[in-house]
Amino acid sequence: MSHFDEMTGLLYLEGQLDADRAHTVAAHADSCPECRALLHALKSEDAWLREALAAEDEVIPARLVDAPVRAPVPWGWVTAFGLGAGGAYTLWSGFVEPLRTEAAQAGFTQGNLLTMLFFSGAFWKGWDAMRSLMEFLAMATLGTVMVWLLRRHWRRFATVAVVMGTMLCALAMPSTVGAAEVKKGNPGYTLPAGEEVKTDLIVTAERTQIDGVVDGDLIVFSSNVTVNGHVKGDILSFTQELRVNGTVDGNIRDFSQKLQLNGTVGKNVMVWAEHFNLEDEAKVGGTITMGSSHAQLSGQLAGDLLAFAGDLDINGSLGHDASIMASQLTIGPKAEIKGQTKFQGHHQPDVSSTAKLGSPIEVTIEKHRAEAAYNPARVIWHQLLHWGASFLFGLVFLLLAPGFFADASNSCKKVAPAIGFGILFLFATPIAAIIACCTIVGLGVGISALFLYLIAIYATQVFVGAWLGERLLGTSAGVGLAIGKLALGLAILRALRMIPFVGGWICFLIILWGLGALALAVYKNMRPPVAAAA
Amino acid sequence: MERRKKTGEMSAAELAEVLVEVRAGDPDAWGELYRQYGPAIFRFCRRVLPAREDAEDATTEIFMKVRQKLGTYDTSRPFVGWLYKVASNHCWDTLRRRRIRQDLETGDVETLPLEHPDPSQLERLQAEHSGKEIRAGLAKLPDRARMALVLRYYADMSYDEIAETLGVRRAFVGVLLLRARHQLRDVLGRSGSELLRGAIGGGRS
Repeated sequence: MSHFDEMTGLLYLEGQLDADRAHTVAAHADSCPECRALLHALKSEDAWLREALAAEDEVIPARLVDAPVRAPVPWGWVTAFGLGAGGAYTLWSGFVEPLRTEAAQAGFTQGNLLTMLFFSGAFWKGWDAMRSLMEFLAMATLGTVMVWLLRRHWRRFATVAVVMGTMLCALAMPSTVGAAEVKKGNPGYTLPAGEEVKTDLIVTAERTQIDGVVDGDLIVFSSNVTVNGHVKGDILSFTQELRVNGTVDGNIRDFSQKLQLNGTVGKNVMVWAEHFNLEDEAKVGGTITMGSSHAQLSGQLAGDLLAFAGDLDINGSLGHDASIMASQLTIGPKAEIKGQTKFQGHHQPDVSSTAKLGSPIEVTIEKHRAEAAYNPARVIWHQLLHWGASFLFGLVFLLLAPGFFADASNSCKKVAPAIGFGILFLFATPIAAIIACCTIVGLGVGISALFLYLIAIYATQVFVGAWLGERLLGTSAGVGLAIGKLALGLAILRALRMIPFVGGWICFLIILWGLGALALAVYKNMRPPVAAAA
Repeated sequence: MERRKKTGEMSAAELAEVLVEVRAGDPDAWGELYRQYGPAIFRFCRRVLPAREDAEDATTEIFMKVRQKLGTYDTSRPFVGWLYKVASNHCWDTLRRRRIRQDLETGDVETLPLEHPDPSQLERLQAEHSGKEIRAGLAKLPDRARMALVLRYYADMSYDEIAETLGVRRAFVGVLLLRARHQLRDVLGRSGSELLRGAIGGGRS
């Protein structure tokens, strides 16, 4: 026979050839020194490989000396997490919090609106109770992230030193500047009549009363705020209830449950509150931008009105145009709107015959969602579109980052840890992003993080869908099959979400689950890079 | 069997006894079983999974699986074989997460031509590299190639077992092993790879 090839030689040595073929190969090797040499080389390579692989010169790590009694991952996580959280919380209360105050003094203005909005607002009554928990969770998340990052560069002390040094410098800078008076209520704070604060005033208190004069902005975090005095700058407030009886020369920007305006505002009012009352005697020199469930405008407004409201009752005077989106609009007998009025809502507005309108109201009635939803073909079409969008998103993700995609969908197998981390990250990530934006880098990073967070929430269905598809179609690999699994999984999830009542909860569960899986996958990819075998 | 020599000195009777005790929930027996096979499984994981941390985690996870699944183990078959089966499935599952990417990058390796080595150069390569270097080279191979070599030359698995674990046809296992050997040679002898390639080709048909 002619020379045999390397494949045949290997199969011969491994005993994988049938008897006849093996016999022919052996006979040829006996007579052919070249093929015999090849066989010999392959055989010694075999022994060489076995010897190298079998070597027991590797130290067994201490953590593997004792037999595992239970799954180690949760405990490892719990311990690491607890330590990280404790450390981070200490860092927060001892270092970051004082620094935040300093930063606030350096000019805590609208640039950091988002921060204030989340941390110190009073959108709802239970916020205070949740706040410490949220902060704790947020810090724990940050701590965990720091541990991840440091683990990766643990040995690169130089890098760590530079990063830490830069951060410290960045953190130290705001403390050199100070331009506001900060008051902390015990529990309440009152600026008595006749007293004047010559600069911006920042107040955190349970109850705040301003009877004196603030010659600057008033920034207030408080459950109840009453302004009877005079604020020469703006009011930025995060409260349960803000009542302005006095005069504000600048703007009011309010995030609260209830805003009641009895006094005079020189410029604009922007309010996001459940209840907003512009009382008879109130005057606003600029515009009003509002989002409110129940609003009553009985006072005078010189500029435009932009309103998003549940019920809006206008019984005052509007000097300019009004653009209103509301479910119910009532224009009372004393109302006067000098400019144009545009209304968009579910019901025809109720307009008093004695109301004075500069021009007829342009009304757009929206079809109620529930009515529109009764069309089954439309529902199915929408669901198909949603499915298509999520599938397309998943497909792009799968093709761009297949490894990470597989990691994330695979992490869904760890149901309990995934959901646990999902809960943590769902609530803590935005808070952590905001802390970061407030203390270290800036608003841009914070908003980018929030943007990514929203993308991650959308992506959760893709990972859970891919996992579900794999459960149904098996674990064999391949791109085509992976796409098929994804499509099937997403379709099932979409169908599940259409179930009345339960669908919403399923959606929530998918978000928690997928977010946790995503976090686990990120953790997996943040681990130290490939190390050569010892 | 070679793999038994590798993993411990426990006799078959002793092992059977220990397994019965483990099934009955005896923690000492479990510790004994782990002492016997833990190091070998750790080394297996270490060779298959490039990151040390992954190997450590995998070892623990494999033994937790072993404990859970011990009820399904058929005592008429070798325990070590079953143990490696559990271990290889676990590790392959871990590697598989990244495999889609690999498939996209490398395409179907089955169709790629093989080049022949010069036996003398091959032997020189073997003489020049220590076990440690080989293991380091192994870590640089694609997952499937590395897995195939470890399953065959460390866990001593049959072609059928390898085919089943890696989800390939049995006839493809030989190609996979030879391809993996070539890749390892390339990695180890990258500096002088020209010497290794095709020296035999001219005189062979």
